Amino acid sequence: MIILDKVSLIYTDKTQALIDINVNIKPGEIVYITGPSGSGKTSLLKLIMGMEYPTSGTLSVLGRQVKNNSSGNIRKIRRCIGPVFQEFKLIEGRTTLENVMMGMRFLGVKPRIMKAAANEALEKVGLGHKKLSMVENLSWGESQRVAIARAVARKPSLILADEPTGNLDYDNAINILGLLKSFKDENTTVIITTHATHLIEDEQNATFISVDKGRITIERRYQ
Amino acid sequence: MRSFLFNIGYFIKESGRIIRLNLLSNIFSIIGTGLILLLLGIVVTGTDIGNRLVVMLNEEAEVNGYFSELLTSEQKDELAVKIGNMDGVRSTRIVDEDEAKTRMEKVLGEEAKILELFDDNPFEAFIEIRINVDSMDFVIDNVKNTNGIEYIRDNRDVLEKIQDITYALKVLGYLMIAAVGITTLIILSHMIRQGIYNNKDQINTLRLLGSPGVFIGFPYILTGILLTLLGGIIAALSMAILINGAYESIGGTIPFLPLPPKEELINKMTLWLPTLSFVLGFLGSLFGLSSIREKS
Repeated sequence: MIILDKVSLIYTDKTQALIDINVNIKPGEIVYITGPSGSGKTSLLKLIMGMEYPTSGTLSVLGRQVKNNSSGNIRKIRRCIGPVFQEFKLIEGRTTLENVMMGMRFLGVKPRIMKAAANEALEKVGLGHKKLSMVENLSWGESQRVAIARAVARKPSLILADEPTGNLDYDNAINILGLLKSFKDENTTVIITTHATHLIEDEQNATFISVDKGRITIERRYQ
Repeated sequence: MRSFLFNIGYFIKESGRIIRLNLLSNIFSIIGTGLILLLLGIVVTGTDIGNRLVVMLNEEAEVNGYFSELLTSEQKDELAVKIGNMDGVRSTRIVDEDEAKTRMEKVLGEEAKILELFDDNPFEAFIEIRINVDSMDFVIDNVKNTNGIEYIRDNRDVLEKIQDITYALKVLGYLMIAAVGITTLIILSHMIRQGIYNNKDQINTLRLLGSPGVFIGFPYILTGILLTLLGGIIAALSMAILINGAYESIGGTIPFLPLPPKEELINKMTLWLPTLSFVLGFLGSLFGLSSIREKS
């Protein structure tokens, strides 16, 4: 599903974000990427999303190469990803339902099916009653749930969540992690970055990628 | 394509939203585009009328041949037939002294009283020779050299001047079309860029979700077309009012001015201006959209 082979990422200002990364993430895995702020977690996600390209090494996501000058490939990869951005990236001036539908509009889904899928996703995140609320009127937690609903409504092969527990209290953070994990199935991989390691220390069926100063260590805990 | 069809309603809604986002600025743009297109409409209509005038005058092009004094009326008739058979001559007719005087009286109107001062009719008979304008030089030379013709009068200078004016109008028309086209494209592409800038977060999010550029850009194309089309409709309606008003005021006072039927002009403008605005809107939007092309 995702293969990084000796991938390094150096930004134009010469900052070394990732150094010689080798990872192979399989379908249906839950992956936690942990590490302190600035360790390279978000850079790793950016690579997978095609927002950055490897400076060296090869990266393949969902069977497609991510490299410079492959915008068509990257678009196709992104359509199979359900991203939950750290800052949500909801579109203001629209309702929650419209925001969730926005992620599916260009996937060739019939409007009726699209609306049903969006409603279902909103129900799943507990916001069915707020589907007609404007997103700018939602609380932080609610906005995050809308972002998750938008990510999962399009039935992605890969869910990427960047710091979904940031700014949330313990209970809400646990709820959000539980919610994201609930979307995992045999074909859907869930990758979550977090610096709140205390929230996931008891996890037993997941892969843990710890990033520190651009280098990673991998631990697979499966019962 | 399927995504496109499924989202027609969304595209229209988005266009409305983009327009509402900068409503006042967009209203001014519509008015500005309308005024520019109105200016173009006026020039094109003026060129049209000028062209028609030249065509009509060309059809009326004639040379008047004046007889030598000694010719009898039979010889004058023979001469008229002879000239009528020349290449480039459409018809000939003898205008006698009385008809020549009557014509002048009509031209002079109230001033015709001056002719009463003459004891005798001061006008001469002549041959009215209708010619093809293209053969004007050739015919004039031939008629001049015909025995029995003393001298000739032609309206070549007038025709040439009108042709020059029409040519200038035509050039002005083309320049206006180019100027209007470029101005509209610049205004519109600027508006589209502004719209894109105002929605850059949304565009960025759509890109990250894997949206194709066409899907992101289509509402902006629709917006551009809609704004210029509204400008075109305003210009077309203004032209219709203007032409109506002009015909009412000019048509009455200069009845001999060979204006084309006003319905013809109005129909042309009401079809032509919105069509042009549609094309300009489409091109301007594409031009503006080039700024959101993905860098990678």
